[in-house]
Amino acid sequence: MSNNKQSRIRHHRMVVFSLLSLVVLTLVLPLIPYAIAELGETAGNVANPGTEYWRDVRQRDRIVTGTTQVRGVDTDVLINVTGEEWRQFRMGQLAPYGAIVLGVMVGILVVYYLVRGKIRIEAGRSGERVRRYTSAEMTVHWILAITFVLLALSGLILIYGRWVLIPLLGDAGFSATATASKVIHNYGGLLFAAIVPVAFFLYLKDSLFNLKVDAKWFLRAGGYLGGEEPSAEKVNAGQKAWYWVAMLGGFVLVASGLVLDFPNIFQQGREWLQGAHVIHTIVAIGVIVFFFVHLYLATIGVEGALESITSGHVDANWAKQHHDLWYKELQTGQGGGSASEEPSMSGGSHAGGVASPIAKD
Amino acid sequence: MARMKFLCDVERCIECNACVTACKNENEVPWGVNRRRVVTINDGSPGERSMSVACMHCSDAPCAAVCPVDCFYYTDDGVVLHDKDICIGCGYCFYACPFGAPQFPQDGAFGSRGKMDKCTFCAGGPEEDNSPEEHAKYGSNRLAEGKLPLCAEMCATKALLAGDGDTVADIYRERVTWRGSSGIGWGWGVAYGKAGLREGKAIEGKATGGE
Ligand code: HEM
Ligand code: SF4
Ligand code: SF4
Repeated sequence: MSNNKQSRIRHHRMVVFSLLSLVVLTLVLPLIPYAIAELGETAGNVANPGTEYWRDVRQRDRIVTGTTQVRGVDTDVLINVTGEEWRQFRMGQLAPYGAIVLGVMVGILVVYYLVRGKIRIEAGRSGERVRRYTSAEMTVHWILAITFVLLALSGLILIYGRWVLIPLLGDAGFSATATASKVIHNYGGLLFAAIVPVAFFLYLKDSLFNLKVDAKWFLRAGGYLGGEEPSAEKVNAGQKAWYWVAMLGGFVLVASGLVLDFPNIFQQGREWLQGAHVIHTIVAIGVIVFFFVHLYLATIGVEGALESITSGHVDANWAKQHHDLWYKELQTGQGGGSASEEPSMSGGSHAGGVASPIAKD
Repeated sequence: MARMKFLCDVERCIECNACVTACKNENEVPWGVNRRRVVTINDGSPGERSMSVACMHCSDAPCAAVCPVDCFYYTDDGVVLHDKDICIGCGYCFYACPFGAPQFPQDGAFGSRGKMDKCTFCAGGPEEDNSPEEHAKYGSNRLAEGKLPLCAEMCATKALLAGDGDTVADIYRERVTWRGSSGIGWGWGVAYGKAGLREGKAIEGKATGGE
Protein backbone atom coordinates (compact mmCIF):
# COMPACT_ATOMS: atom_id res chain seq x y z
CA MET A 1 0.00 0.00 0.00
CA SER A 2 2.63 2.52 1.11
CA ASN A 3 4.92 1.37 -1.68
CA ASN A 4 2.23 2.08 -4.20
CA LYS A 5 1.67 5.56 -2.74
CA GLN A 6 5.39 6.39 -2.91
CA SER A 7 5.68 5.46 -6.57
CA ARG A 8 2.66 7.58 -7.34
CA ILE A 9 4.30 10.60 -5.64
CA ARG A 10 7.49 9.98 -7.60
CA HIS A 11 5.47 9.81 -10.78
CA HIS A 12 3.83 13.14 -10.03
CA ARG A 13 7.18 14.73 -9.32
CA MET A 14 8.53 13.55 -12.64
CA VAL A 15 5.55 15.00 -14.50
CA VAL A 16 5.89 18.37 -12.80
CA PHE A 17 9.65 18.43 -13.37
CA SER A 18 9.44 17.62 -17.07
CA LEU A 19 6.71 20.21 -17.61
CA LEU A 20 8.81 22.84 -15.86
CA SER A 21 11.91 22.06 -17.86
CA LEU A 22 9.84 22.12 -21.04
CA VAL A 23 8.65 25.62 -20.23
CA VAL A 24 12.12 26.83 -19.30
CA LEU A 25 13.66 25.38 -22.45
CA THR A 26 11.06 26.92 -24.76
CA LEU A 27 11.88 30.26 -23.20
CA VAL A 28 15.65 29.92 -23.18
CA LEU A 29 16.46 28.02 -26.39
CA PRO A 30 15.41 30.77 -28.85
CA LEU A 31 17.67 33.20 -27.01
CA ILE A 32 20.81 31.21 -27.63
CA PRO A 33 21.53 32.64 -31.12
CA TYR A 34 21.13 36.13 -29.71
CA ALA A 35 23.54 35.33 -26.91
CA ILE A 36 26.05 34.01 -29.43
CA ALA A 37 25.62 37.07 -31.59
CA GLU A 38 26.10 39.28 -28.54
CA LEU A 39 29.18 37.52 -27.25
CA GLY A 40 30.79 36.06 -30.32
CA GLU A 41 32.94 37.62 -33.02
CA THR A 42 30.11 37.55 -35.55
CA ALA A 43 28.63 40.03 -38.00
CA GLY A 44 26.58 41.58 -35.22
CA ASN A 45 29.69 43.32 -33.96
CA VAL A 46 30.73 45.00 -37.18
CA ALA A 47 29.59 48.59 -37.32
CA ASN A 48 27.34 48.89 -40.32
CA PRO A 49 28.25 52.06 -42.24
CA GLY A 50 24.93 52.04 -44.05
CA THR A 51 23.02 52.10 -40.80
CA GLU A 52 25.26 54.87 -39.46
CA TYR A 53 24.69 56.86 -42.61
CA TRP A 54 20.92 56.71 -42.44
CA ARG A 55 21.02 57.50 -38.74
CA ASP A 56 22.96 60.63 -39.68
CA VAL A 57 20.56 61.49 -42.48
CA ARG A 58 17.62 61.30 -40.08
CA GLN A 59 19.72 63.10 -37.45
CA ARG A 60 18.84 60.49 -34.86
CA ASP A 61 21.81 60.95 -32.54
CA ARG A 62 23.20 64.31 -33.53
CA ILE A 63 22.58 67.30 -35.75
CA VAL A 64 24.23 66.52 -39.06
CA THR A 65 24.84 68.99 -41.81
CA GLY A 66 26.63 68.10 -44.97
CA THR A 67 28.21 70.03 -47.79
CA THR A 68 26.55 71.07 -50.99
CA GLN A 69 27.21 73.20 -54.03
CA VAL A 70 23.78 74.81 -53.76
CA ARG A 71 23.81 78.10 -51.86
CA GLY A 72 20.85 78.99 -49.71
CA VAL A 73 19.27 78.63 -46.29
CA ASP A 74 19.52 75.10 -44.89
CA THR A 75 20.56 73.61 -48.24
CA ASP A 76 23.20 71.53 -46.44
CA VAL A 77 20.57 69.75 -44.34
CA LEU A 78 19.14 66.56 -45.87
CA ILE A 79 16.16 66.05 -43.57
CA ASN A 80 14.29 68.86 -41.85
CA VAL A 81 13.49 66.85 -38.74
CA THR A 82 11.27 69.49 -37.11
CA GLY A 83 9.16 70.18 -40.18
CA GLU A 84 6.58 67.52 -39.44
CA GLU A 85 6.37 68.61 -35.78
CA TRP A 86 5.71 72.15 -36.91
CA ARG A 87 3.03 70.94 -39.31
CA GLN A 88 1.38 68.96 -36.50
CA PHE A 89 1.49 72.04 -34.29
CA ARG A 90 -0.05 74.37 -36.83
CA MET A 91 -2.66 72.04 -38.28
CA GLY A 92 -3.36 69.78 -35.31
CA GLN A 93 -3.11 72.17 -32.39
CA LEU A 94 -2.89 75.84 -33.29
CA ALA A 95 -5.80 75.90 -35.72
CA PRO A 96 -8.34 73.75 -33.82
CA TYR A 97 -7.48 74.82 -30.25
CA GLY A 98 -7.11 78.44 -31.30
CA ALA A 99 -10.60 78.31 -32.79
CA ILE A 100 -11.99 76.68 -29.66
CA VAL A 101 -10.38 79.21 -27.32
CA LEU A 102 -11.54 82.19 -29.38
CA GLY A 103 -15.01 80.71 -29.83
CA VAL A 104 -15.43 79.92 -26.13
CA MET A 105 -14.48 83.48 -25.24
CA VAL A 106 -17.01 84.93 -27.66
CA GLY A 107 -19.61 82.52 -26.27
CA ILE A 108 -18.90 83.57 -22.69
CA LEU A 109 -19.28 87.22 -23.62
CA VAL A 110 -22.54 86.61 -25.47
CA VAL A 111 -23.96 84.68 -22.52
CA TYR A 112 -22.72 87.36 -20.12
CA TYR A 113 -24.41 90.05 -22.15
CA LEU A 114 -27.66 88.10 -22.26
CA VAL A 115 -27.60 87.47 -18.50
CA ARG A 116 -26.16 90.70 -17.16
CA GLY A 117 -26.91 93.12 -19.95
CA LYS A 118 -25.21 96.45 -20.27
CA ILE A 119 -23.78 97.78 -17.02
CA ARG A 120 -25.54 101.10 -16.61
CA ILE A 121 -24.45 104.27 -14.91
CA GLU A 122 -26.55 103.62 -11.83
CA ALA A 123 -27.09 107.19 -10.81
CA GLY A 124 -27.74 108.24 -14.39
CA ARG A 125 -25.69 110.80 -16.18
CA SER A 126 -24.80 113.85 -14.14
CA GLY A 127 -24.00 115.97 -17.14
CA GLU A 128 -20.74 116.91 -15.46
CA ARG A 129 -17.80 115.92 -17.64
CA VAL A 130 -14.49 114.78 -16.19
CA ARG A 131 -11.29 114.64 -18.20
CA ARG A 132 -9.87 111.15 -18.34
CA TYR A 133 -7.38 110.95 -21.21
CA THR A 134 -5.10 113.46 -22.91
CA SER A 135 -5.10 113.79 -26.65
CA ALA A 136 -1.70 112.05 -26.73
CA GLU A 137 -3.17 109.12 -24.84
CA MET A 138 -6.12 108.95 -27.21
CA THR A 139 -4.00 109.19 -30.36
CA VAL A 140 -1.62 106.47 -29.28
CA HIS A 141 -4.54 104.30 -28.23
CA TRP A 142 -6.13 104.52 -31.64
CA ILE A 143 -2.94 103.92 -33.60
CA LEU A 144 -2.31 100.91 -31.42
CA ALA A 145 -5.90 99.71 -31.72
CA ILE A 146 -6.11 100.03 -35.48
CA THR A 147 -2.77 98.34 -36.15
CA PHE A 148 -3.62 95.62 -33.65
CA VAL A 149 -6.98 94.86 -35.22
CA LEU A 150 -5.50 94.86 -38.72
CA LEU A 151 -2.72 92.51 -37.63
CA ALA A 152 -5.06 90.23 -35.72
CA LEU A 153 -7.53 90.06 -38.60
CA SER A 154 -4.93 89.48 -41.27
CA GLY A 155 -3.18 86.89 -39.09
CA LEU A 156 -6.42 85.03 -38.43
CA ILE A 157 -7.22 85.10 -42.15
CA LEU A 158 -3.91 83.35 -42.82
CA ILE A 159 -4.80 80.60 -40.36
CA TYR A 160 -8.53 80.17 -40.92
CA GLY A 161 -9.14 81.50 -44.43
CA ARG A 162 -8.49 78.08 -45.91
CA TRP A 163 -11.60 76.71 -44.21
CA VAL A 164 -13.76 79.80 -43.88
CA LEU A 165 -13.00 81.96 -46.90
CA ILE A 166 -12.06 79.58 -49.73
CA PRO A 167 -15.61 78.16 -49.82
CA LEU A 168 -16.92 81.74 -50.03
CA LEU A 169 -14.41 83.43 -52.32
CA GLY A 170 -13.04 80.56 -54.35
CA ASP A 171 -9.34 79.78 -54.77
CA ALA A 172 -8.39 82.85 -56.79
CA GLY A 173 -10.53 85.19 -54.70
CA PHE A 174 -9.07 83.97 -51.47
CA SER A 175 -5.57 84.09 -52.92
CA ALA A 176 -6.06 87.84 -53.47
CA THR A 177 -7.43 88.24 -49.93
CA ALA A 178 -4.56 86.27 -48.47
CA THR A 179 -2.00 88.27 -50.44
CA ALA A 180 -3.52 91.49 -49.09
CA SER A 181 -3.55 90.05 -45.57
CA LYS A 182 0.06 89.07 -45.85
CA VAL A 183 1.11 92.50 -47.11
CA ILE A 184 -0.90 94.27 -44.40
CA HIS A 185 0.50 91.93 -41.78
CA ASN A 186 4.11 92.06 -42.83
CA TYR A 187 4.29 95.85 -43.29
CA GLY A 188 1.73 96.80 -40.63
CA GLY A 189 3.86 94.90 -38.17
CA LEU A 190 6.47 97.66 -38.36
CA LEU A 191 3.94 100.30 -37.32
CA PHE A 192 2.89 98.09 -34.43
CA ALA A 193 6.53 97.60 -33.48
CA ALA A 194 6.99 101.37 -33.38
CA ILE A 195 3.86 102.15 -31.37
CA VAL A 196 4.10 99.43 -28.69
CA PRO A 197 7.09 100.98 -26.86
CA VAL A 198 5.42 104.41 -26.97
CA ALA A 199 2.24 102.99 -25.50
CA PHE A 200 4.21 101.06 -22.93
CA PHE A 201 5.77 104.18 -21.43
CA LEU A 202 2.74 106.38 -21.90
CA TYR A 203 0.38 104.17 -19.91
CA LEU A 204 2.95 102.63 -17.56
CA LYS A 205 2.44 104.92 -14.58
CA ASP A 206 -1.31 104.37 -14.37
CA SER A 207 -0.94 100.63 -14.87
CA LEU A 208 1.40 99.74 -12.05
CA PHE A 209 -0.39 97.43 -9.67
CA ASN A 210 -1.33 98.80 -6.26
CA LEU A 211 -1.63 95.58 -4.28
CA LYS A 212 -3.90 96.93 -1.56
CA VAL A 213 -6.57 98.04 -3.98
CA ASP A 214 -6.02 95.68 -6.85
CA ALA A 215 -5.91 92.41 -4.91
CA LYS A 216 -9.33 93.18 -3.50
CA TRP A 217 -10.56 94.05 -6.99
CA PHE A 218 -9.38 90.73 -8.35
CA LEU A 219 -10.82 88.78 -5.41
CA ARG A 220 -14.24 90.24 -6.13
CA ALA A 221 -13.73 89.86 -9.89
CA GLY A 222 -14.37 93.55 -10.27
CA GLY A 223 -17.98 93.05 -9.25
CA TYR A 224 -18.74 91.67 -12.71
CA LEU A 225 -19.97 88.39 -11.31
CA GLY A 226 -22.24 89.99 -8.74
CA GLY A 227 -21.68 91.74 -5.46
CA GLU A 228 -20.65 95.30 -4.97
CA GLU A 229 -18.16 96.86 -7.37
CA PRO A 230 -14.80 97.08 -5.58
CA SER A 231 -12.81 100.29 -5.31
CA ALA A 232 -10.54 101.18 -8.18
CA GLU A 233 -7.98 103.80 -9.08
CA LYS A 234 -7.92 105.65 -12.38
CA VAL A 235 -7.22 102.31 -14.01
CA ASN A 236 -8.79 99.29 -12.35
CA ALA A 237 -6.99 96.00 -11.79
CA GLY A 238 -8.60 94.35 -14.79
CA GLN A 239 -7.53 97.17 -17.07
CA LYS A 240 -4.03 97.01 -15.64
CA ALA A 241 -3.94 93.28 -16.36
CA TRP A 242 -5.00 94.01 -19.95
CA TYR A 243 -2.24 96.62 -20.21
CA TRP A 244 0.37 94.06 -19.17
CA VAL A 245 -1.02 91.30 -21.39
CA ALA A 246 -1.16 93.61 -24.39
CA MET A 247 2.23 95.22 -23.81
CA LEU A 248 4.27 92.15 -22.86
CA GLY A 249 2.38 90.13 -25.47
CA GLY A 250 3.02 92.97 -27.90
CA PHE A 251 6.75 92.86 -27.31
CA VAL A 252 6.82 89.10 -27.84
CA LEU A 253 4.72 89.46 -31.00
CA VAL A 254 7.03 92.16 -32.31
CA ALA A 255 10.18 90.17 -31.58
CA SER A 256 8.91 86.90 -33.02
CA GLY A 257 7.19 88.71 -35.87
CA LEU A 258 10.40 90.42 -36.92
CA VAL A 259 12.21 87.08 -36.96
CA LEU A 260 9.54 85.85 -39.39
CA ASP A 261 9.45 89.07 -41.35
CA PHE A 262 13.13 89.31 -42.23
CA PRO A 263 14.53 85.86 -42.92
CA ASN A 264 17.07 87.59 -45.16
CA ILE A 265 18.88 89.51 -42.44
CA PHE A 266 20.43 86.74 -40.39
CA GLN A 267 19.64 84.02 -42.91
CA GLN A 268 17.86 82.32 -40.03
CA GLY A 269 16.98 78.74 -40.85
CA ARG A 270 13.77 76.82 -40.55
CA GLU A 271 14.16 75.97 -36.87
CA TRP A 272 14.21 79.66 -36.01
CA LEU A 273 11.25 80.37 -38.23
CA GLN A 274 9.25 77.45 -36.86
CA GLY A 275 10.04 78.42 -33.27
CA ALA A 276 9.20 82.08 -33.88
CA HIS A 277 5.95 81.07 -35.55
CA VAL A 278 4.93 78.85 -32.62
CA ILE A 279 5.62 81.59 -30.07
CA HIS A 280 4.06 84.26 -32.30
CA THR A 281 0.80 82.44 -32.84
CA ILE A 282 0.29 81.14 -29.29
CA VAL A 283 0.82 84.63 -27.91
CA ALA A 284 -1.33 86.14 -30.66
CA ILE A 285 -4.29 83.88 -29.82
CA GLY A 286 -3.80 84.64 -26.12
CA VAL A 287 -3.73 88.40 -26.64
CA ILE A 288 -6.72 88.30 -28.99
CA VAL A 289 -8.75 86.43 -26.34
CA PHE A 290 -8.05 89.19 -23.80
CA PHE A 291 -8.70 91.76 -26.50
CA PHE A 292 -12.24 90.38 -26.93
CA VAL A 293 -12.93 91.08 -23.26
CA HIS A 294 -11.45 94.57 -23.56
CA LEU A 295 -13.52 95.27 -26.66
CA TYR A 296 -16.69 94.02 -25.02
CA LEU A 297 -16.32 96.05 -21.83
CA ALA A 298 -15.30 99.19 -23.68
CA THR A 299 -18.25 99.13 -26.05
CA ILE A 300 -21.49 97.31 -25.31
CA GLY A 301 -20.48 96.03 -21.87
CA VAL A 302 -20.30 99.23 -19.85
CA GLU A 303 -22.35 102.33 -20.47
CA GLY A 304 -20.33 105.50 -20.74
CA ALA A 305 -16.93 103.81 -21.14
CA LEU A 306 -16.27 104.28 -24.85
CA GLU A 307 -16.53 108.07 -24.75
CA SER A 308 -13.48 108.22 -22.48
CA ILE A 309 -11.24 107.26 -25.36
CA THR A 310 -13.17 108.98 -28.14
CA SER A 311 -13.69 112.34 -26.42
CA GLY A 312 -11.22 112.13 -23.56
CA HIS A 313 -13.98 112.79 -21.06
CA VAL A 314 -16.35 110.71 -18.98
CA ASP A 315 -19.41 111.49 -16.98
CA ALA A 316 -18.69 112.27 -13.33
CA ASN A 317 -21.14 109.62 -12.14
CA TRP A 318 -19.43 107.03 -14.32
CA ALA A 319 -16.13 107.97 -12.71
CA LYS A 320 -17.65 107.80 -9.21
CA GLN A 321 -19.12 104.36 -9.90
CA HIS A 322 -16.19 102.64 -11.60
CA HIS A 323 -13.11 104.52 -10.46
CA ASP A 324 -14.05 105.89 -7.05
CA LEU A 325 -10.51 106.42 -5.77
CA TRP A 326 -9.53 108.31 -8.90
CA TYR A 327 -12.66 110.45 -8.63
CA LYS A 328 -11.89 111.20 -4.99
CA GLU A 329 -8.36 112.24 -5.96
CA LEU A 330 -9.78 114.55 -8.57
CA GLN A 331 -12.07 116.07 -5.98
CA THR A 332 -9.26 116.66 -3.54
CA GLY A 333 -7.06 117.92 -6.34
CA GLN A 334 -4.31 115.36 -6.04
CA GLY A 335 -4.56 114.67 -9.71
CA GLY A 336 -3.89 110.95 -9.55
CA GLY A 337 -0.25 111.58 -8.73
CA SER A 338 0.10 113.20 -12.10
CA ALA A 339 3.03 115.38 -13.03
CA SER A 340 0.81 118.29 -13.85
CA GLU A 341 -0.87 118.82 -10.55
CA GLU A 342 -3.16 121.67 -11.08
CA PRO A 343 -6.13 122.51 -8.97
CA SER A 344 -9.11 120.48 -10.00
CA MET A 345 -12.26 121.76 -11.58
CA SER A 346 -10.32 124.39 -13.44
CA GLY A 347 -12.82 123.87 -16.20
CA GLY A 348 -12.63 124.01 -19.95
CA SER A 349 -9.35 123.55 -21.69
CA HIS A 350 -6.49 121.88 -20.02
CA ALA A 351 -2.77 121.57 -20.55
CA GLY A 352 -2.47 117.99 -21.74
CA GLY A 353 0.25 116.51 -19.57
CA VAL A 354 0.42 112.75 -19.30
CA ALA A 355 -2.46 111.47 -17.20
CA SER A 356 -3.70 114.98 -16.73
CA PRO A 357 -6.12 115.20 -13.91
CA ILE A 358 -9.31 117.00 -14.50
CA ALA A 359 -11.28 119.06 -16.82
CA LYS A 360 -14.90 119.92 -16.64
CA ASP A 361 -16.84 121.22 -19.51
CA MET B 1 -1.85 53.38 -62.22
CA ALA B 2 1.77 54.29 -61.79
CA ARG B 3 2.98 55.86 -58.57
CA MET B 4 5.96 58.07 -59.45
CA LYS B 5 8.97 57.96 -57.16
CA PHE B 6 12.55 59.15 -56.93
CA LEU B 7 15.26 57.02 -55.41
CA CYS B 8 18.88 58.00 -54.96
CA ASP B 9 21.23 55.08 -54.54
CA VAL B 10 23.81 56.55 -52.19
CA GLU B 11 26.24 53.72 -52.93
CA ARG B 12 26.47 55.06 -56.46
CA CYS B 13 26.10 58.83 -56.26
CA ILE B 14 29.43 60.52 -57.03
CA GLU B 15 28.33 64.10 -56.37
CA CYS B 16 28.81 65.22 -59.94
CA ASN B 17 25.77 67.57 -59.77
CA ALA B 18 24.72 66.63 -63.30
CA CYS B 19 21.14 66.17 -62.05
CA VAL B 20 21.17 69.68 -60.57
CA THR B 21 22.41 71.18 -63.82
CA ALA B 22 20.09 69.13 -65.99
CA CYS B 23 17.10 70.24 -63.94
CA LYS B 24 18.07 73.91 -63.99
CA ASN B 25 18.52 73.83 -67.73
CA GLU B 26 15.50 71.75 -68.63
CA ASN B 27 13.09 73.75 -66.49
CA GLU B 28 14.71 77.17 -66.82
CA VAL B 29 14.07 77.71 -63.13
CA PRO B 30 14.16 81.22 -61.65
CA TRP B 31 17.49 82.71 -60.63
CA GLY B 32 18.50 81.66 -57.15
CA VAL B 33 16.27 78.59 -57.18
CA ASN B 34 17.60 75.05 -57.29
CA ARG B 35 14.92 72.42 -57.44
CA ARG B 36 17.44 69.69 -56.82
CA ARG B 37 20.64 69.62 -54.81
CA VAL B 38 23.30 67.11 -53.86
CA VAL B 39 24.27 66.91 -50.21
CA THR B 40 27.40 65.11 -49.06
CA ILE B 41 27.67 63.84 -45.51
CA ASN B 42 31.07 63.14 -43.95
CA ASP B 43 32.71 64.90 -46.85
CA GLY B 44 36.37 63.92 -47.10
CA SER B 45 36.33 61.19 -44.48
CA PRO B 46 35.78 57.45 -44.74
CA GLY B 47 32.10 56.67 -45.05
CA GLU B 48 31.43 59.75 -47.14
CA ARG B 49 28.12 59.50 -48.98
CA SER B 50 26.33 61.85 -51.34
CA MET B 51 22.65 62.02 -52.06
CA SER B 52 20.69 63.95 -54.63
CA VAL B 53 17.49 65.33 -53.16
CA ALA B 54 14.48 67.24 -54.44
CA CYS B 55 10.75 67.12 -53.82
CA MET B 56 9.89 63.50 -52.99
CA HIS B 57 6.20 63.91 -53.86
CA CYS B 58 4.96 62.77 -50.48
CA SER B 59 1.72 60.81 -50.16
CA ASP B 60 0.59 62.87 -47.17
CA ALA B 61 2.49 65.98 -48.15
CA PRO B 62 3.28 68.39 -45.29
CA CYS B 63 3.55 71.29 -47.75
CA ALA B 64 0.00 70.72 -48.98
CA ALA B 65 -1.25 70.37 -45.41
CA VAL B 66 0.08 73.72 -44.18
CA CYS B 67 -0.50 75.88 -47.28
CA PRO B 68 -2.82 78.71 -46.16
CA VAL B 69 -4.33 79.02 -49.65
CA ASP B 70 -4.49 75.27 -50.33
CA CYS B 71 -2.77 75.56 -53.72
CA PHE B 72 -1.31 72.03 -53.96
CA TYR B 73 -2.81 69.10 -55.81
CA TYR B 74 -1.88 65.50 -56.55
CA THR B 75 -1.81 64.09 -60.06
CA ASP B 76 -3.02 60.58 -60.83
CA ASP B 77 0.64 59.54 -60.87
CA GLY B 78 1.11 60.67 -57.27
CA VAL B 79 3.06 63.77 -58.26
CA VAL B 80 2.61 66.78 -55.95
CA LEU B 81 2.12 70.00 -57.93
CA HIS B 82 1.07 73.51 -57.01
CA ASP B 83 -0.61 76.51 -58.58
CA LYS B 84 1.63 79.56 -58.73
CA ASP B 85 -1.32 81.83 -59.48
CA ILE B 86 -2.75 80.99 -56.07
CA CYS B 87 0.49 80.80 -54.04
CA ILE B 88 1.09 83.87 -51.84
CA GLY B 89 4.74 83.09 -51.08
CA CYS B 90 4.34 82.73 -47.31
CA GLY B 91 7.09 80.14 -47.00
CA TYR B 92 5.11 77.74 -44.79
CA CYS B 93 5.64 74.86 -47.23
CA PHE B 94 9.38 75.42 -46.81
CA TYR B 95 9.05 75.30 -43.01
CA ALA B 96 7.18 72.00 -43.18
CA CYS B 97 8.82 70.10 -46.05
CA PRO B 98 11.11 67.31 -44.81
CA PHE B 99 13.46 67.73 -47.77
CA GLY B 100 13.83 71.48 -48.18
CA ALA B 101 12.23 71.22 -51.59
CA PRO B 102 10.22 74.47 -51.81
CA GLN B 103 12.39 77.35 -53.00
CA PHE B 104 11.76 81.06 -53.49
CA PRO B 105 13.12 83.56 -55.99
CA GLN B 106 13.33 86.44 -53.48
CA ASP B 107 15.20 86.78 -50.22
CA GLY B 108 12.13 87.35 -48.06
CA ALA B 109 12.53 90.91 -46.71
CA PHE B 110 9.10 91.85 -45.28
CA GLY B 111 8.18 88.23 -45.91
CA SER B 112 8.08 88.75 -49.67
CA ARG B 113 9.59 85.68 -51.23
CA GLY B 114 7.82 85.57 -54.56
CA LYS B 115 6.00 82.49 -55.83
CA MET B 116 7.20 79.20 -54.48
CA ASP B 117 9.03 76.96 -56.94
CA LYS B 118 9.82 73.29 -56.55
CA CYS B 119 10.47 70.09 -58.42
CA THR B 120 7.45 69.07 -60.50
CA PHE B 121 8.75 65.61 -61.39
CA CYS B 122 8.98 67.24 -64.82
CA ALA B 123 5.18 67.32 -64.86
CA GLY B 124 4.49 71.05 -65.26
CA GLY B 125 1.55 72.70 -63.58
CA PRO B 126 -2.17 73.29 -63.84
CA GLU B 127 -1.97 75.06 -67.22
CA GLU B 128 -2.51 73.21 -70.47
CA ASP B 129 0.23 70.62 -71.03
CA ASN B 130 3.34 72.08 -72.67
CA SER B 131 1.72 75.45 -73.27
CA PRO B 132 4.07 78.46 -73.17
CA GLU B 133 2.35 79.63 -69.94
CA GLU B 134 3.01 76.31 -68.29
CA HIS B 135 6.60 76.31 -69.41
CA ALA B 136 7.20 79.84 -68.17
CA LYS B 137 5.90 79.08 -64.70
CA TYR B 138 6.83 75.47 -64.10
CA GLY B 139 9.28 74.39 -66.79
CA SER B 140 9.03 71.21 -68.81
CA ASN B 141 6.19 68.77 -68.78
CA ARG B 142 8.07 65.66 -69.83
CA LEU B 143 5.53 63.29 -68.28
CA ALA B 144 2.93 64.59 -70.74
CA GLU B 145 5.36 63.64 -73.53
CA GLY B 146 5.78 60.15 -72.12
CA LYS B 147 9.26 60.88 -70.76
CA LEU B 148 10.63 60.66 -67.23
CA PRO B 149 12.44 63.42 -65.28
CA LEU B 150 15.62 64.62 -66.95
CA CYS B 151 17.72 64.57 -63.76
CA ALA B 152 17.49 60.80 -63.51
CA GLU B 153 17.93 60.37 -67.24
CA MET B 154 21.16 62.40 -67.05
CA CYS B 155 22.59 60.55 -64.07
CA ALA B 156 25.80 58.90 -65.30
CA THR B 157 26.03 56.28 -62.57
CA LYS B 158 22.28 55.69 -62.53
CA ALA B 159 22.32 56.49 -58.85
CA LEU B 160 19.24 58.65 -59.28
CA LEU B 161 16.22 56.68 -60.40
CA ALA B 162 12.85 58.14 -61.31
CA GLY B 163 9.71 56.43 -62.48
CA ASP B 164 6.98 54.11 -61.40
CA GLY B 165 7.63 53.05 -57.83
CA ASP B 166 7.37 49.34 -58.59
CA THR B 167 9.96 49.48 -61.36
CA VAL B 168 12.31 51.64 -59.31
CA ALA B 169 11.96 49.23 -56.41
CA ASP B 170 12.71 46.23 -58.66
CA ILE B 171 15.90 47.82 -59.99
CA TYR B 172 17.08 48.76 -56.52
CA ARG B 173 16.22 45.35 -55.08
CA GLU B 174 18.26 43.67 -57.80
CA ARG B 175 21.25 45.89 -57.00
CA VAL B 176 21.02 45.20 -53.31
CA THR B 177 20.80 41.46 -53.80
CA TRP B 178 23.84 41.64 -56.01
CA ARG B 179 26.10 43.76 -53.85
CA GLY B 180 24.80 43.09 -50.36
CA SER B 181 22.76 45.48 -48.37
CA SER B 182 23.50 48.30 -46.03
CA GLY B 183 26.65 49.74 -47.50
CA ILE B 184 29.13 47.23 -46.19
CA GLY B 185 30.12 46.62 -49.76
CA TRP B 186 30.81 49.91 -51.49
CA GLY B 187 33.00 51.03 -54.31
CA TRP B 188 33.39 50.52 -58.01
CA GLY B 189 34.03 46.83 -57.95
CA VAL B 190 30.99 46.08 -55.85
CA ALA B 191 28.66 48.39 -57.68
CA TYR B 192 29.61 47.35 -61.22
CA GLY B 193 31.80 44.27 -61.08
CA LYS B 194 31.45 40.87 -59.56
CA ALA B 195 33.73 41.46 -56.60
CA GLY B 196 32.76 41.42 -53.00
CA LEU B 197 29.37 39.82 -53.15
CA ARG B 198 28.18 40.02 -49.55
CA GLU B 199 31.76 40.11 -48.30
CA GLY B 200 32.51 43.29 -46.50
CA LYS B 201 36.03 42.22 -45.54
CA ALA B 202 36.98 41.54 -49.13
CA ILE B 203 36.94 45.18 -50.13
CA GLU B 204 39.49 46.24 -47.57
CA GLY B 205 42.16 48.34 -49.13
CA LYS B 206 39.89 50.09 -51.57
CA ALA B 207 40.14 53.83 -51.28
CA THR B 208 36.45 54.19 -50.65
CA GLY B 209 35.81 50.94 -48.83
CA GLY B 210 33.53 50.66 -45.85
CA GLU B 211 35.06 51.39 -42.46
C1 HEM C 1 5.48 93.74 -35.07
C2 HEM C 1 4.41 93.07 -35.14
C3 HEM C 1 4.21 91.85 -36.00
C4 HEM C 1 4.98 91.32 -36.99
C5 HEM C 1 6.28 91.86 -37.54
C6 HEM C 1 4.32 90.13 -37.44
C7 HEM C 1 4.79 89.30 -38.44
C8 HEM C 1 4.22 88.12 -38.81
C9 HEM C 1 4.69 87.30 -39.88
C10 HEM C 1 5.88 87.58 -40.75
C11 HEM C 1 3.85 86.23 -39.97
C12 HEM C 1 3.96 85.11 -40.98
C13 HEM C 1 2.87 85.29 -41.99
C14 HEM C 1 3.36 85.53 -43.37
O1 HEM C 1 4.55 85.66 -43.61
O2 HEM C 1 2.48 85.63 -44.24
C15 HEM C 1 2.86 86.39 -38.96
C16 HEM C 1 1.82 85.52 -38.76
C17 HEM C 1 0.79 85.72 -37.84
N1 HEM C 1 0.70 86.78 -36.96
FE1 HEM C 1 1.93 88.36 -36.83
N2 HEM C 1 3.19 89.96 -36.74
C18 HEM C 1 3.07 91.00 -35.84
C19 HEM C 1 2.06 91.23 -34.95
C20 HEM C 1 0.98 90.41 -34.79
C21 HEM C 1 -0.13 90.69 -33.93
C22 HEM C 1 -0.28 91.94 -33.07
C23 HEM C 1 -0.98 89.64 -34.05
C24 HEM C 1 -2.28 89.38 -33.39
C25 HEM C 1 -2.72 89.94 -32.38
C26 HEM C 1 -0.41 88.69 -34.95
C27 HEM C 1 -0.97 87.50 -35.29
C28 HEM C 1 -0.47 86.63 -36.25
C29 HEM C 1 -1.13 85.43 -36.66
C30 HEM C 1 -2.45 84.89 -36.12
C31 HEM C 1 -0.35 84.87 -37.68
C32 HEM C 1 -0.74 83.66 -38.53
C33 HEM C 1 0.15 82.51 -38.49
C34 HEM C 1 -0.31 81.38 -39.38
O3 HEM C 1 -0.88 81.61 -40.47
O4 HEM C 1 -0.14 80.24 -38.95
N3 HEM C 1 0.79 89.20 -35.40
N4 HEM C 1 3.10 87.54 -38.27
S1 SF4 D 1 7.56 69.81 -51.37
FE1 SF4 D 1 8.36 68.62 -49.66
S2 SF4 D 1 6.54 68.12 -48.42
FE2 SF4 D 1 5.81 68.77 -50.44
S3 SF4 D 1 5.59 66.84 -51.59
FE3 SF4 D 1 7.63 67.66 -52.05
S4 SF4 D 1 8.96 66.66 -50.55
FE4 SF4 D 1 6.87 66.39 -49.80
S1 SF4 E 1 4.60 79.61 -50.19
FE1 SF4 E 1 2.87 79.33 -51.58
S2 SF4 E 1 2.72 77.11 -51.85
FE2 SF4 E 1 4.00 77.46 -50.06
S3 SF4 E 1 2.56 77.33 -48.34
FE3 SF4 E 1 2.75 79.51 -48.89
S4 SF4 E 1 1.08 79.87 -50.34
FE4 SF4 E 1 1.32 77.65 -50.18
